[in-house]
Amino acid sequence: MRDFKRSGPIIKMKLTDYEATLLESLVDQFAGLLEDGSEPLESSDPFERLAAESVTPELDRSDPVISRLFPDAYPDDPGASADFRRFTQARQRDTRLGEAEIVLTALRDSDAGEHPVQVRVIELDAWLKTLTAVRMSLAVRLNIETASDAEELDQLPDEDPRSYIYRVYEWIAYLTENLIGLA
Amino acid sequence: MSTPSAPQEPGGATAIEERPADQETGGWVTIVWDAPVNLMSYVTHVFITYFGYSSEVATDLMLRVHNHGKAVVSHGTRERMETDVEAMHGYGLWATLEQA
Repeated sequence: MRDFKRSGPIIKMKLTDYEATLLESLVDQFAGLLEDGSEPLESSDPFERLAAESVTPELDRSDPVISRLFPDAYPDDPGASADFRRFTQARQRDTRLGEAEIVLTALRDSDAGEHPVQVRVIELDAWLKTLTAVRMSLAVRLNIETASDAEELDQLPDEDPRSYIYRVYEWIAYLTENLIGLA
Repeated sequence: MSTPSAPQEPGGATAIEERPADQETGGWVTIVWDAPVNLMSYVTHVFITYFGYSSEVATDLMLRVHNHGKAVVSHGTRERMETDVEAMHGYGLWATLEQA
């Protein structure tokens, strides 16, 4: 694949300026979704700041992207699922934000696709997880619940606005597959 | 009361008799469910990377998820399975745990 080339510990991925900007914006939106509700408290009182830090606000589970990212661990036990989330969600969110930052940094370093995007192989999973999460959020916008939903979207005429989002969804799959192929 | 000589141990003792294998492995399983968003290559990659499964085992498990809607991907204690489920969620896979 011409646009993906591995040399030792680095995979070089060629993106156009449009693609690099689009991907940066999608990853940024995803990170923003995770940051919602965890804004640092702008207080001059150190005690108030400390108190705010010790409370982890719950993410908004009515958002379908959040509920897909944090599914019930115990399908028949809402109480145990809530406990599981309480113990794991803050850590999961921090991990995901760190992974998204790795992707954003590499995209910014490419100067909007002017240079190939450098994916360090040791950071490959951060890329794959983030691309998968972005794809998941696009799937929510496209209402993809089953395999046949995706097939229907593939048949949409170009003028349908969903057709564009679906092409982006497929493009992220293409990036993911090529990166896995060079793992 | 027809068998007064039987040991008076409700619950646990019966479970051990019925499920000796599960007791050895901790009694819990992690299940990964099929989701149309997940790429087959990615699911296989996750099983290789996280569980350390061979490419053959990982591909077989991925196909089981794809064809049957779900597959048991690991066995162990409840605590260990919660760790696995958290990791699978981190990869964006739909995973749950339950008693074997």
